[in-house]
Amino acid sequence: MASVQARAVAAPQSFVREKILLGMGLREYVRSCCTKGNAIAAAILVVGVPILIYRFIAGLGATTALSQTAPWGIWIGFDMMTGIALAAGGFTIGATVQIFGLEEYHPIERPAILTAFLGYVMAVIGLLADLGRPWNIVMALFNYGTASALFEVAWCVMCYTTVLLLEFTVPAFEWLGWKKLHAVMRKALIGLTVLSVMFSTMHQSALGSLFLLAPTKLHPLWYTPFIFVFFFISAIIAGISMVIVESMLSHRVFHSQVANHPVDIDKLTLGLGKAGALVMFAYFFLKLQGVIDGHAWGYLATGYGAWFLVETVGFGLVPALLYAYGSRNANVKLVRIGGVMGVLGIILNRLNVSVIAFNWNQPVRYVPSASEVIVSITLVTIGVLLFRWIVNRMPILREDPRFAETHH
Amino acid sequence: MAHDFLSIYPANLLEYVLAVGYLLMFIPFWRYVQGGKAKEVAVRVAEPRAAARAAIRAPRPTAGWFQLPGGIHLHPGHTWARLENDGLVAVGIDDFAHKLVGPARVELPALGELVAQGEPALAMGDEDRTVPLLSPVDGTVVAVNAAARDGKNGIEDPYGAGWLFKVKAPRLAANLRQLLTDGPARHFVEDAGERLALRMSPEIAHVLQDGGAPIHGIAHALAGDDWEQLAREHFLT
Repeated sequence: MASVQARAVAAPQSFVREKILLGMGLREYVRSCCTKGNAIAAAILVVGVPILIYRFIAGLGATTALSQTAPWGIWIGFDMMTGIALAAGGFTIGATVQIFGLEEYHPIERPAILTAFLGYVMAVIGLLADLGRPWNIVMALFNYGTASALFEVAWCVMCYTTVLLLEFTVPAFEWLGWKKLHAVMRKALIGLTVLSVMFSTMHQSALGSLFLLAPTKLHPLWYTPFIFVFFFISAIIAGISMVIVESMLSHRVFHSQVANHPVDIDKLTLGLGKAGALVMFAYFFLKLQGVIDGHAWGYLATGYGAWFLVETVGFGLVPALLYAYGSRNANVKLVRIGGVMGVLGIILNRLNVSVIAFNWNQPVRYVPSASEVIVSITLVTIGVLLFRWIVNRMPILREDPRFAETHH
Repeated sequence: MAHDFLSIYPANLLEYVLAVGYLLMFIPFWRYVQGGKAKEVAVRVAEPRAAARAAIRAPRPTAGWFQLPGGIHLHPGHTWARLENDGLVAVGIDDFAHKLVGPARVELPALGELVAQGEPALAMGDEDRTVPLLSPVDGTVVAVNAAARDGKNGIEDPYGAGWLFKVKAPRLAANLRQLLTDGPARHFVEDAGERLALRMSPEIAHVLQDGGAPIHGIAHALAGDDWEQLAREHFLT
């Protein structure tokens, strides 16, 4: 650390230039940023960030369609709930590598943890945006409402985001060259992974437990006293599917990084597909069981019933079968299609439970305002941009040769 | 009435039927997902590295009575592993095992089968009895030496053309740490030879045995019908 600082002091350009500007001069770097994709992202940010700031100035009433009868909207339903579910890849792959010892999945472990970390950060920002009095969020540290499911969510998300940050410091310290700190964090990784599985189990299911308080508000096809179990299992499905999709995109976008270190992503995808097939198969039957347990099969013949079947069969059973067929016959393309459908299915499930089938018997239904949609898209864009920034600089998709000996 | 609270019996019946049906369907589904052809991407069974080939052709360093070339990682159960050019690991039996059992049939694992270091993976023997041998590495079998398996006279050249099967080894570094090379491997094979010598003439014990290569089928010569026992003792099975 001292040597890096000495170098930084001696040649102030070189640290910034090497680490931040990817070895280019400032003008060169700015010119390299002028791409079509960046233009679209900039357009989104230019509109979305001011709206987000305006929300904090003017309040919820001015920027959202929320009301007394519609207490939460897509900032919770999509940004928080879906974001947290899709960030479940961190603990699933972390557990696969560190706890189950399947070292061949190590190449996708770091991108999964990074996705999870950024997902949670964005989810927390979405949550803060949705809270009526966001400055009171620190009270969760002091008011021990232990009978409340939301208390559990708040604490577990706080703890888990910290754990993710600590897990993320391993590649970050490699990037900075801080060998001693890196060695310490490297050793702590398995302990952090155990903690991450523990915290994830608790808050993924606790997000479902929130709905135990409102059994009449959630449509009977989706409500069941076992909803927290469903949330946890669907989080695992979300993690597996999201890692399949993210690894497919990363290896295409960051092709230059992985070109010299060929990783058999296809084989890992097939392995994940196999696991996903079995979990999704079980989940489908669990959902049916939930419907029967609530005596709600009569609702299947209604409009909501059809929508339920779209979510459960179309985006639940069909991807399970795609995973099964694809992983058995080594057809990576099918597994990837299954992955995309799985991700869409989780998004659909979380949106259904929190927004679409919630308050289903109210006369006036909630429809998100334009500002809410723009802010959601903005948060996702920021997450993707941060992901790209970090992957371009830190050893996420590739190994750092100076630290190669400490890897398995 | 869509939400029928009084339908307790139909509900329970449906629940049980669904649960049992799910369990019955899960078993074939599991087998379906886990099955499928082992992904035999055309494995270019490359020629052993030029260096390894030279080592095989050169007059071999010997370990007592038995041959033991360089580049070989030896397992205490008398099987060896060698990293090939194409990234796969070739597995075979060493000269000691070859001479101990003599010309014999080999039974090899199937393609796609998983082998584990220290677990029985292959066997050799005659018509009535076979002796299992341990795999030196963990991995998935991706190539099998059909000539060795189907040949009438068992294998020739246990380190070269007599390679038995090739494995894709994900944990090669960890596995290799458990195996012997060079000096330690030579000592090990020499010790094994000495143990055999002791059996042959226990009263003479440590007299230098020089001259004459050992014959094939030492185990048969030493122990007759109990050759299987003697072989198992050395192969750690």
